[in-house]
Amino acid sequence: MLAGTVALTKAELANLFQYRIVMFLYALWEVVNPIVYLVVWSLVAGDGEVGGYRRGDFMMYYLVFMLVSHLTVAIEVYTFAPLIQQGKLSPRLLRPMHPSWSAAATNIAYKTVSLIMLVPVWIALFLILRPPFQGDLIGILLFVPAISMAVLISFLAGSAFAMLAFWTTKSFSFWEIWMSLLFLFGGQVAPVAVLPDLARALAIGMPFRYALGFPVEVVLGRLEPAELLTGFALQGAWTIVAAVVFALVWRAGIRRYSAVGA
Amino acid sequence: MRLMWIAWAFFRSALQQELAYRADFFGNVLRSVIAVGTSIGGLAVVFSHTESLGDWNLAQTLTLLGVFYVIQGVVAMFMSPSLNKIVEEVRDGTFDYILVKPVPSQFIASTRRFVLWHVTDIALGAGIIAIGLGRLGSGLSAGGVLLFLGMIAAGIAIVYAIWLTLTTLVFWFVRIENVTMIFNLFYETGRYPVEIYPFWLRQALTFVFPVAFITTVPAQAITGRELTWLMWAAPIVGVIAVIAASVFWRVGIRRYSSASS
Repeated sequence: MLAGTVALTKAELANLFQYRIVMFLYALWEVVNPIVYLVVWSLVAGDGEVGGYRRGDFMMYYLVFMLVSHLTVAIEVYTFAPLIQQGKLSPRLLRPMHPSWSAAATNIAYKTVSLIMLVPVWIALFLILRPPFQGDLIGILLFVPAISMAVLISFLAGSAFAMLAFWTTKSFSFWEIWMSLLFLFGGQVAPVAVLPDLARALAIGMPFRYALGFPVEVVLGRLEPAELLTGFALQGAWTIVAAVVFALVWRAGIRRYSAVGA
Repeated sequence: MRLMWIAWAFFRSALQQELAYRADFFGNVLRSVIAVGTSIGGLAVVFSHTESLGDWNLAQTLTLLGVFYVIQGVVAMFMSPSLNKIVEEVRDGTFDYILVKPVPSQFIASTRRFVLWHVTDIALGAGIIAIGLGRLGSGLSAGGVLLFLGMIAAGIAIVYAIWLTLTTLVFWFVRIENVTMIFNLFYETGRYPVEIYPFWLRQALTFVFPVAFITTVPAQAITGRELTWLMWAAPIVGVIAVIAASVFWRVGIRRYSSASS
């Protein structure tokens, strides 16, 4: 599986380098939105504090958020769903590995290519804003499992939404609903700690934070030990839920699949 | 007049197509409502911590968000369906069929297709504007409404010029499928008044990529904020932009050499 995925990733990389500019535009999308909210919250914070965040903290939060949002973004609705709709899934079913491995290869290749282009933008922003970094070694160590699970949840959820294409041509609409909720509860519009009480309680229970904002909070050392513990427990639980949903949707979907013309 | 009839015919055929898929329509409405709902939620979060944002209060910012959705809806309904098709056609060489029609190519390239369900975005945007103005509670004058409609028209003209220009680039660079995404990238900043951005970004969003004219200026006009010079400039910028984009289009189609040659 692993060797196969590596080979596929290499092939996808070669493919993607042809479309550098388009890639760059997609990647910039993940820069612009955090900048808007970076500006908004710096303004709101002024010289004071909002939900424990000072102005510099917001800057740091959204700068890290840019990277995390880029690493976690799910693109399967654009890459995997069309395969199902156009019947192109058939040849992939003949490969001795689950088609999602090749979807994962596409995902990894996309992120690698666009990351190369994003990093200069990111460094430039960092140098312009010069936010105070206050993470510690523990935060950085804990970041690894947090981001890994976030990537997994995103990928599994994104794939499950893409697989709705087995039933409907409108899988994209459902995905947009997920994205809207991600925006509100995932830590995009504001760090979860800054949300009003009810929204914060919802955000902590729902999966969105664990697919996006949680790793940012972890690496910046914003969480108390108890919050870290419940956070990781919930993130683990949502990872399992995402995997189960993914498997169920795949099994039900593949039975419905009959390639175009069959 | 003849062009009006042609546009009407395109519109009718789009309507018939849409009516054939009514279930889709409701799915799309649901998705718009959720998208708009969460972004209002976002505003509520921001304003739960502050009274004003760059001198704009909640009601005014809400009105601006309404303008954002109205214009986004107009783009998605009238502009992107037709213009995105051009990029595809130039690559395949089927753009020939546009050129041979006895109608100005820019007209047919811009009016051929409509995606009607985006009317819900426009309606939702208008609803948000109404709510924003209601909360503002400062009464509307006929002059204010007229000014607002004028500014919206100027904003739409500028958006059209940007879309047409980006699309025209296809005659030089054939493989630019998603070039119009550049518009969305910048437009995203238009959810908030341009005043909130730091100096250099504000300048860029006014003079280079004039998002300021698209959402901030109309919202300024209707919420009774102080009239700035931008308001007098907006119609002029709109007219000049559309003329410049049309000239650019003409230069572009002269470069077009079909697919086989």
